[in-house]
Amino acid sequence: MKIGMLMLRHPPTRISPIMPEVVQLLEKWGCEIQIIYPEERVTPLSHVRAEHDLYILKSGTEMALSLAGALDAVGARIINPYPVAATMRDKIVSMRVLEAAGVPVPETYITSDSRRLASLLDAGPLVLKPYRGSQGRGVHVIWDADELDDVSNDEGPVFAQRYYKPEGEDHKIYVIGDQMFGVKRVFPAKTYAEKIGQPFTVTPEFREIALRCGRAFGVELFGFDVIISNGRPYVVDIQGFPGFKGVPDAALRLADYLYAAGQRAIMGEPLVEAALHERRNGAAL
Amino acid sequence: MKAVVIGAGRIGCGLVGQLLRASGWEVTFVTRDPEVVANLNRNGHYHVLMTSAKQNQKVTVGGVNALAINHESAVVDAIAQADLIATAVCSQNLPAIAPLIARGLAGRTRPANVIAFENMPNASNCLRRLVASMLPQGVDVDRHGFSGAVISRMITRRIGNPSDAAPLTFIGDEVEDFVVDRTALRAPLAEITGMKLVDDYQAWVLRKLYTFSAGHATTAYLGWLKGYHYVHTAIRDREIRQAVLKAMKEGQKGLAAKFGKEFAGDQPELDAIVARFENAAINDPIVRVARDPQRKLGADERLVGAALLAEEAGVIPEQLALVTAAALCFSSSGHAETCTACFEKSKAAEALNQICGLDAAHGFGRNVAKSWAQLAPSILPGNLLLSLKQHMWARA
Repeated sequence: MKIGMLMLRHPPTRISPIMPEVVQLLEKWGCEIQIIYPEERVTPLSHVRAEHDLYILKSGTEMALSLAGALDAVGARIINPYPVAATMRDKIVSMRVLEAAGVPVPETYITSDSRRLASLLDAGPLVLKPYRGSQGRGVHVIWDADELDDVSNDEGPVFAQRYYKPEGEDHKIYVIGDQMFGVKRVFPAKTYAEKIGQPFTVTPEFREIALRCGRAFGVELFGFDVIISNGRPYVVDIQGFPGFKGVPDAALRLADYLYAAGQRAIMGEPLVEAALHERRNGAAL
Repeated sequence: MKAVVIGAGRIGCGLVGQLLRASGWEVTFVTRDPEVVANLNRNGHYHVLMTSAKQNQKVTVGGVNALAINHESAVVDAIAQADLIATAVCSQNLPAIAPLIARGLAGRTRPANVIAFENMPNASNCLRRLVASMLPQGVDVDRHGFSGAVISRMITRRIGNPSDAAPLTFIGDEVEDFVVDRTALRAPLAEITGMKLVDDYQAWVLRKLYTFSAGHATTAYLGWLKGYHYVHTAIRDREIRQAVLKAMKEGQKGLAAKFGKEFAGDQPELDAIVARFENAAINDPIVRVARDPQRKLGADERLVGAALLAEEAGVIPEQLALVTAAALCFSSSGHAETCTACFEKSKAAEALNQICGLDAAHGFGRNVAKSWAQLAPSILPGNLLLSLKQHMWARA
C-alpha cells in the first residue's frame, strides 16, 4: 500500500510524537510511506498525479490544502477528502454547515469592516477569529466598541462569534472512524502536559453532537472544541485531522484507521462508511 | 501418488495443494466455483505468497488440475483412483461433499485415507459418519482411514479474480507443519512435506486450540472491544498483547498438567505465536477471526475448554474469563444487540449454560458471569474500551 502524507515540518523543539509513530507503525505493516512537505519543494503542477493509493492531508497550511485540491482534481483518494478539508478550513462555511446540521454553535457574524459589529456588543462581548485560522492564533475577545478600531480589516472577512464565558475547562472531542474520545484541557493550552489534558467519557449529548458533525461534513477523522456556558454546550471550532493529543493509544488507533482506509482505497471502496459517503456526495457540500 | 483435494480455497490451495506438490504428489482440486476450475486448468499453476516479519517468499505450485464438483462422474472416478482424499471446504459443507466421497470409496478395491483439513476438532469423525451413512450395503467404512489435520499456517486471502487470465495467489505465513492422526489411517501414506504423524492426535488438537487459537480469539475479542480493525494492529496494543500472552499461558498450564510440560510448550513458543499475529501481510480482520462466537464459546472450545483444563490444574483462568465475556458480547455487525438482548441478569445464567455449558454460580462460570455483567452495559454502538486495567470506556 502506497501512502503519501502531506505534512508540515515542525521545529525540533515542538513535541509531536503521534505522527512519527503513526508513520513507523504503517511502515512496519508494509506500507510505503512518502512524506511530502509541500512548502519545501517546487511542485510542477502538470506532474501532480495520484501516485499513491491514499493521501493523508495532515498539514493545515494553505499550500498543503491547495496541493490536496490539485491531487483531488486528478482523482487521488485523500483523507480527509479535499472538499471537506477546504470547508472545514473556512470557519464561515464550516459554522454554517454545523448550524444547518443542528449542532449548537454560538451566534456568528461576518463583515468586511469590524466597526460594523459595534451595535452587537450591546448584547455582550464578541470573539473575533481569523476566518481561516487555527490553534487559537489571532483570537480576541472584544468587550468595547473602541477595541474594534484596532482590529485589522485587511485579512479578508471579519469573523465574529458571541462570547460565552466557559465554565471550567474546554472540552475537546476527537473522532476516529466510529470512535469518539473526550479530552478536557485548559484554554489556551500552552505546555505539552496541558495539551494532553485529561480524558473524560463522552456523554450522550456530546456523542449526538459528534455524530451530527460527522454527518454534516461526511467525515470520520476530525476534532471539535466545545465550551459549556450556563449549562449549554457550544461548538466553537472544528478541525479536520487534529493532533489527537490526549487520546489513549492515539498513534496506534490512527494507524489502524488509516491502514483500514488504505485497504478500502485499494479495493475501490468509499473511504468513509456508506452513510457518510452519501452525505459527502450530497447537495450540502 | 495421487491426491484429490476437495476445496480450492485458502487451505486447499494455500496449504494442502502446495505441500502435496512439494512432495511429488499429483494433485486434482475439486471445487464448486467454475471460474476457479477454469483458472487452475488454464494456467496449470497458482502461487502461494508466504510471508513473515523478515521476508516474503513466493512459491509457484505447478502441475495442478481441477474438476467442478458438479462434474460428478469425473470426481467420483478421481476419488476412486486417489491414494489420498483431502477436504478443505469448511465444516458446514461436509454434508454436501460426503455423497461424492462415499461413491468414490464404494468403487475402490484398495483402502484410502481421507484427511479433513477443517477447522473443527471432530471433523474426521463427522465426515466418517456422513460417508458411512451413504455407502452401499456391504461396503465397510472402516476399510478407509479418516483423520483430521491440525494445521498451523494462517492463510487469510486469495489475490486475483479467477475469471482473469492471471493465476491465483494465496497469502499465508510460512509455517508448514501439520499433524495427522496415525492411528486413524488405514492405508500407507507417502510422505508429505510438513506432515507429522502422531498417535495422540487429540492432545495435539487441544494443544493448538488452547494456545494458538485461544490467543487468536483473545486478540480478536479484546481487539473488538478496544476498537481495532486487524489482528496485527490490535496485537500492538500493550494491554491486549499482555492479555493474549496471559490467556495462552493459562491454556498452556492446563495442557502441561494433562500432557506434560514438554508437550505443552514453553514461553518462547507463546512469544513466537504473538510474533505471527504481528504479521501485517496476513491482514486478518478482527471481525473475521471473531465470527461465529457461539461455536467458539463451546465447552470444549478454545476459551472455555482451555479455562476448564486450567482450572483442573489448579490455575484460576482470570484472563480467559474476561475474554469469554468479551466473546459473549460480540456480534459480527459491530453492534451487540444480540448480546444485549441475551444479557438480562435473570437470563444470563441460562445463556451461559446453554452457550458455554458453564454454571454461573461456581468457579470459572462465576468469573465469566461477573465479567459479562461488567462489560455488557457498555457495549453500545461506537463505544470502545479505552483501558482494560482501568475499565475505562470512551462513552458514558
